[in-house]
Amino acid sequence: MSANINLLLHADEESLKQNRKKKLFNLIAVGLLMAVCLIAIVVFILIKAVNPESIRKQQEDVLGQISQFQNRQVKLLILSNRIETAEKILKTRRDLPKITSSLLAKIPSDLPVDTLEVNGKTVMISGQSKSLSAIGELIDNLTDMARRKEIIKSLTLSSLTFDGSKGAYQVSVTSEL
Amino acid sequence: MKNKVNLDLVSLKFIFDRYKSYIIPVVIILVSVILFYQFVIPEFSALREAQREAKELSQELEVMKSNLNVLSNIDEDVLDSQLEILTLALPLNKDAIRILNSIYATAQKAGVSLGAFSFAIGDISKSENTIDLPVIKLSVPIEADVVGVNSFIEIINRTVPLSEISSVQIGNKSSKIELSSYYKSLADSSYNPKARINPVSQKELTLIDQLNGFEDASVVATSSGQVQALILTK
Repeated sequence: MSANINLLLHADEESLKQNRKKKLFNLIAVGLLMAVCLIAIVVFILIKAVNPESIRKQQEDVLGQISQFQNRQVKLLILSNRIETAEKILKTRRDLPKITSSLLAKIPSDLPVDTLEVNGKTVMISGQSKSLSAIGELIDNLTDMARRKEIIKSLTLSSLTFDGSKGAYQVSVTSEL
Repeated sequence: MKNKVNLDLVSLKFIFDRYKSYIIPVVIILVSVILFYQFVIPEFSALREAQREAKELSQELEVMKSNLNVLSNIDEDVLDSQLEILTLALPLNKDAIRILNSIYATAQKAGVSLGAFSFAIGDISKSENTIDLPVIKLSVPIEADVVGVNSFIEIINRTVPLSEISSVQIGNKSSKIELSSYYKSLADSSYNPKARINPVSQKELTLIDQLNGFEDASVVATSSGQVQALILTK
């Protein structure tokens, strides 16, 4: 058995290690506390620096100046509102004069129109003629418009009758706008 | 060996003696952690809230400054004349007389005669608050042929107050049109002092010019004898 074998640490060495550990622990504790305090102070200063109250005061000043032009402000508001409405009306309303003019232009001169009805969705034309060719021309013209989707989308021949007393053909067509 | 020794107590005392110097640092660390959760995290939230509020207020301030700039640079005479044009196009209330003037003046210009007609204007003082635009609806019989009626609807489409023809029935000698005349009360305009005020844009100026080019029935003198309409007030 060797006399140099010693399984226990020397007492001084052990207490030195313990002291180092304690110092490190103390340092961490104090450092953490200081860090928390420092962060709290910095955030507090930042909150004070942002200060929305000063912006509010500026707003009040500007609002005070704007109030001098209140009359103009109200007029401009009404104007904008009315422009918006007028624009909406002009944009959405159907151009009926254009629709009726275009349809009338397609009706042959030897086919007097008895009725022309135009509403939001449909148009109905009825007339009479002694000539079938005039009626054919009307149907051809309107069919061409419907094919090109020019004003009307479809064409239905509602009736075609012969009035013996007048000696004339009566025609009625309906179209979708 | 009569004295009894409590081994647990001895052990605890040994552990306490060995680690008592760590107690204070552990307490400090715990206090720091509690402080962090109780004060620092709420402070961060308060900072974020303050920054958000400041940003919103700054944006509002910019809008207000811009509004002030727009308002101070407006020519009030021009604004008045523009407002007058728009008020002629869209009357403030159900102005039955102007509507009648408009229809009769249009009939005169188109060279057509009007039959007797009636319309219901409802409660004159009642403010309407619907999404759709308020209108006064009329059914107007016209004693004219196709050409005359077409001329009438062409003219009325270029006349103020603004109106819309919803249907046309053209016969050989007499015809009928369904007309909706628009108006807009002041109550329909919403006011928000913090909303951005924009000056009249070029597009809007073009619209005002277009409306200015429309015919104004109010300047056409119409004798009261011509007014054959029966106004039914609900």
